[in-house]
Amino acid sequence: MPMTKTFTQNDLIRYIYHDTTEKETSDIEKELLFDNKLFEVYKNLAEVTMELDRVEISPSEKVVNKILEYSKSLNLHSVR
Amino acid sequence: MNRNEVSDRKLVSAYIKGNEEAFELLVERHKNRVFTTINLIVRDNYLAEDLLQETFIKSIKTIKSGRYNEEGKFLPWILRIAHNLAIDHFRRDKRYPTVVLEDGSPVFNNLEFSEDSFESIQIQKETHVRLKQFIEELPLVQREVLVMRHYMNMSFKEIAEVSGVSINTALGRMRYALINIRKKLTVNKNAYDKNFYPK
Repeated sequence: MPMTKTFTQNDLIRYIYHDTTEKETSDIEKELLFDNKLFEVYKNLAEVTMELDRVEISPSEKVVNKILEYSKSLNLHSVR
Repeated sequence: MNRNEVSDRKLVSAYIKGNEEAFELLVERHKNRVFTTINLIVRDNYLAEDLLQETFIKSIKTIKSGRYNEEGKFLPWILRIAHNLAIDHFRRDKRYPTVVLEDGSPVFNNLEFSEDSFESIQIQKETHVRLKQFIEELPLVQREVLVMRHYMNMSFKEIAEVSGVSINTALGRMRYALINIRKKLTVNKNAYDKNFYPK
């Protein structure tokens, strides 16, 4: 069955980030089955977001301890 | 106290009542996400640590003075504080600092990876060091939207409101950010493959 709506790349971005309505999600998923070009764009964008998930940077233990010490020190004083 | 079962809400409540261990769990749970958000905006490890400290100090003061709104969720709330501080700082001081640690090594050595297969760890490190660099190289407006959507979990509607642009503009910036990173990753991957399989 032909789709009545042509989805844009912005729609795909909303779909990847679960920002689409239930109806839009269903329509986009149907469209992706038939439109190879759209699927290719989706695949490329989705791959990047998966890569982004793997970036996680840790602060030093020193700064974490300073935060915890600050919190404990406030128990001894009133907070303004 | 089971670290994974206790909700942020319960931890905040316990902290309000004076339980410092609860706060320690909150910090442990969210420090990387908050630090990553700040670091990707300001692109300076020292500065990011200062701002991380400032962020948590602000949260401590708010919670301990009884001004924390328990209706909201802790992570989005503290990410918002972190983001505002980072953006304020970035806009005040538009320098592009050299990013090195105390021992002179690149900040990227602090990167952690969700997968740590021993055999592929070096390749992963190379790729993700570059990925972080690619994010940092994005124009500020694209980087901001990417950080807010991907690392802060804000909706495009919220991003549009905070940034003072339309939802379509926010979506367009996100799209360009992903496309730009994709291009760089592809170029990087091809260069990497050629090094391994020279003609």
